[in-house]
Amino acid sequence: MALINRDSKLSEVILHDPSTITVLDRFGIALGVGDATVSDSCAEHNIDVNFFTAILNTFINENYFPQEALAKFSATEIVDYLSKTNDYYERNVLPNIERHFAFLIGKAPSHNNNLVLMRQFFEEVKTELSQRISHDREHWFPQVCSKAQETQPNTALEVNIEDIPNDAIEDKIDDLINMLIVHLKGDYDHNLGYAVVVAVLSLKKDIKQNNRIRNRILRPISQALTVGNE
Amino acid sequence: MSDVKAIILTHNTLEAKGLWQLLCESFDIDAHIGNENFFAMFNSSAEPDIFFIDQVTLVANLGFFLPRKAKTVILVNSNIVVDDMKTLDVTVGDSQMISDLNAILEADKKEDRSSSMLSAREIEVLRLIAMGYINKEIANELNISINTVLTHRKNLTSKLGIKSVSGLSFYAMMNGIV
Repeated sequence: MALINRDSKLSEVILHDPSTITVLDRFGIALGVGDATVSDSCAEHNIDVNFFTAILNTFINENYFPQEALAKFSATEIVDYLSKTNDYYERNVLPNIERHFAFLIGKAPSHNNNLVLMRQFFEEVKTELSQRISHDREHWFPQVCSKAQETQPNTALEVNIEDIPNDAIEDKIDDLINMLIVHLKGDYDHNLGYAVVVAVLSLKKDIKQNNRIRNRILRPISQALTVGNE
Repeated sequence: MSDVKAIILTHNTLEAKGLWQLLCESFDIDAHIGNENFFAMFNSSAEPDIFFIDQVTLVANLGFFLPRKAKTVILVNSNIVVDDMKTLDVTVGDSQMISDLNAILEADKKEDRSSSMLSAREIEVLRLIAMGYINKEIANELNISINTVLTHRKNLTSKLGIKSVSGLSFYAMMNGIV
């Protein structure tokens, strides 16, 4: 799909990539979009059109990453989006995967301890992600916002954008997917197995796309803010 | 994305862009279009797996391509043969082009189909990783060098597709290794 712009129809965006539903939800846009365009909907929900299209394009296209453009948005705007993303993981995605695992294990023969071990591994990923979310909520995000308020608006920040190392959570989710797809053994309900895989895959996509915003946009901005205020 | 890396060097921009797109989209190959600086900047540590070049580039850089004959494909405008080098006729239609490219890439695939079965030594290393040993302790326990431990770990990750220590530990538990 061509890049999304202010005249794109929301319905077409969703039809092209249904996983955007959850991104739109973070901006307060629910299903039943009618024939609204991006700019109609942004006006209605009081969203910055440029920020909105940058986030959606980043989410949809693996190869699209307007680093410099994204770094120009306000830190509070980015924090707000990432907070909603965290809420979405906590309230929807993680419980959803747990539910699917519970169904899968509930229906599997008791001798299949494979599935129980996979769930334990998922629990470990979940704990790590939850710890990161609490740290964001209690420390990092408030810190970035307060630094941003102290800084004069329109101050040019020396944003230093470097390559970041692999993300441990992303690696573990990849491992979980590999274990489900490549190494799963024994009897289980296939349909419930697919549900687990699909749920974990959608978490993987979301984390991967948002980690780019988190690690390559917010982190350098937050470092620049700290340096600027010293 | 596959780990096959291709470089396209041709003076015909449309040819380069078209081939680039085919390689990326239909074959999932890490393809790049090289420019005139390619030879000046060439670094043998990032040696591509396959070169697609036009005849002008070949003639101008014979010394470079002759030793790399096995992985060079000449882009030609008809069904001609260039000495005993591989050629790709760029004038053919869509489906013929895909099947020609497929034939070239299949033949080029490295003989790297080693079994995904773990060796006895790898299982031993995996068991120690799952028990929480760090590289140095594994080296001591098995009387091997740290570099050998690292090689085993790399092989474990590539055979199993599992990177993290906890992922490897759960794999070991699932398979009765610990």
